[in-house]
Amino acid sequence: MTAHPVAEVGKAARAPRRRLRTRLGGREGLAGWTIVFILIAVAILAPILAPHSPEAIDGNRILAAPTATHPFGSDDLGRDVLSRVLYAYRVSLGIAVGSVLLAMAVGLPIGVFAGYVGGWTDLILMRLIDLLLSFPALLLAISLIAILGPGSLVALLAIAIIYVPIMARVVRSSVLVVRGQAYVRGARARGASHLSIVRGHVLPNAIGPALVQASVLMAFAIVIEAALSFLGLGSQPPTPELGLMLADGNNYLTQAPWVEIFPGLGIAISVLAFNLIGDGLRRSFDPNGITR
Amino acid sequence: MNARLSYALRRLILTAPVLIATSIFVFLLIRLVPGDPVRSMLGIRATPENIATVRSELGLDRPLPQQYWDWIWGVLHGNLGQDFISHEKITSLLKVSLPVTLELTVLAMLLAVGVGVPVGVLVAARTGWARKVSGGFVIGAISIPDFWLGLMLVLVFTGLLNVLPPSGWVPFTQNPVQNLRYMILPVVTLATGQTAYILRTTRAAMLGTLSEPYISFLRAKGLRERSIVYVHALRNASGPIVTVTGIQFGVLLGGAIVIENLFALPGVGRLIVTAISERNYVVVQAGVLTIACLFIVVNLLTDIVHGLLDPRVEEAVSS
Repeated sequence: MTAHPVAEVGKAARAPRRRLRTRLGGREGLAGWTIVFILIAVAILAPILAPHSPEAIDGNRILAAPTATHPFGSDDLGRDVLSRVLYAYRVSLGIAVGSVLLAMAVGLPIGVFAGYVGGWTDLILMRLIDLLLSFPALLLAISLIAILGPGSLVALLAIAIIYVPIMARVVRSSVLVVRGQAYVRGARARGASHLSIVRGHVLPNAIGPALVQASVLMAFAIVIEAALSFLGLGSQPPTPELGLMLADGNNYLTQAPWVEIFPGLGIAISVLAFNLIGDGLRRSFDPNGITR
Repeated sequence: MNARLSYALRRLILTAPVLIATSIFVFLLIRLVPGDPVRSMLGIRATPENIATVRSELGLDRPLPQQYWDWIWGVLHGNLGQDFISHEKITSLLKVSLPVTLELTVLAMLLAVGVGVPVGVLVAARTGWARKVSGGFVIGAISIPDFWLGLMLVLVFTGLLNVLPPSGWVPFTQNPVQNLRYMILPVVTLATGQTAYILRTTRAAMLGTLSEPYISFLRAKGLRERSIVYVHALRNASGPIVTVTGIQFGVLLGGAIVIENLFALPGVGRLIVTAISERNYVVVQAGVLTIACLFIVVNLLTDIVHGLLDPRVEEAVSS
């Protein structure tokens, strides 16, 4: 019987790694990760992969249909749509990742603090968060842009700001659950400092739902950013950006549909990938699929 | 009924701080513009006299609390100020644009609920292909950006089939049939994503409810399956459905801003975006305030309906 506790310890040490694999896994989740990694590679390698310069204007190819050298056709200035889509992923993914990281950097500490400390601090912080959430997200983003003026960085900031309360809320509710667990009470009884309890016990156990949320928010960030640019409130021309390309091509929709079809597909694929990851992660946290 | 009334009243009172905070944010909107908002509104050709006039019209030369008081007093009396470009009263601009936004969002929500709830209930009881198809629809509809879906619908229904107008608008009172024809594509565009969310929530809530012991009891009692599903289970599953519908209405109001611009519908969203590009801050302010208030009202109604459908909510609040 003396071997038993030892075996338990060994199991506990291996468990997180196995959990991580299942968490990433699921057919859906893996498909999502694969697409995301390909898209990140595309964004980084855009200068090598793109057959033409994204800003090269060609008077002979205005709204030209797809050909072997220009598989996605050309836009109203004769620019190669494929090259522009490849470059546009830099902006889309950059803003999506940047805004979610920024929101996590701000929202995570707020959520952990509110959930862990509890009491009045929690009440006041959560009422403030509720106030922010009582504003439609896109409207809040647009209002911030109305104040600061349009641009890619402003869009990133605006998206991050609408994500902070969402992040803080999700983290807080999982911290609330973790805080009451026996191992946290045990650590406190052992005399561990609050900081080490938060770092060693609370954060690792409460981070899961925040990661699910992060991948879903990443998907939304791509859509919001594209929508803002489509309205002329995000990235400005001549930046190759998916929403902006859709806005440009809108006037030639029936004449040159390829200018609209491919950038839109580009958005949809990236959004789908992050949604698949989110769904896969969620499923691994909730195997019964009740919350789906 | 008394408990319900007091729940509704309490919920109404809780709205007050949200309204006040919203009003302060909207009020600060102009004042937070970096540099001189009046100068950027009027452009480089503005004379100093012009700037001074506009500044005193907006009350920007008075102390901040005084400005807020004057502004909110005006808003409460239906005076939202004047459009700087057309010199029209903003209330008369909203009188035209608000009904358009309301028609668009309410029709889209009705369509989303009308399709999402019944289909969600149907697939909850099923496995196999029905679940796969609905799952595929959900992830697809959530991932396709609504404005791109709108563009593709225009491409198909205007470009290829030529059965619907690509964009434009006539008032419902002037020509109801034409008005609805203009509304079909925007409403379907806006409703598709919402249908997916509502379908997914309905399915999940129904799955949870259908596995409860009282459902087995009702089955054992010999109730017809249809009455079990649609009367007993659906009512108990309605909480999350109503809540998500309410939340999604906020998303819908945001989405309407994009869709109105795509389909050239003269709604509040189009008003806001046009005003931003013209630096017409007073109009931006009024538009943002309108949509934010609409959202608050929808949230309030959602909570009250939720409480009426599910008495446990009242108890949770009063205890």
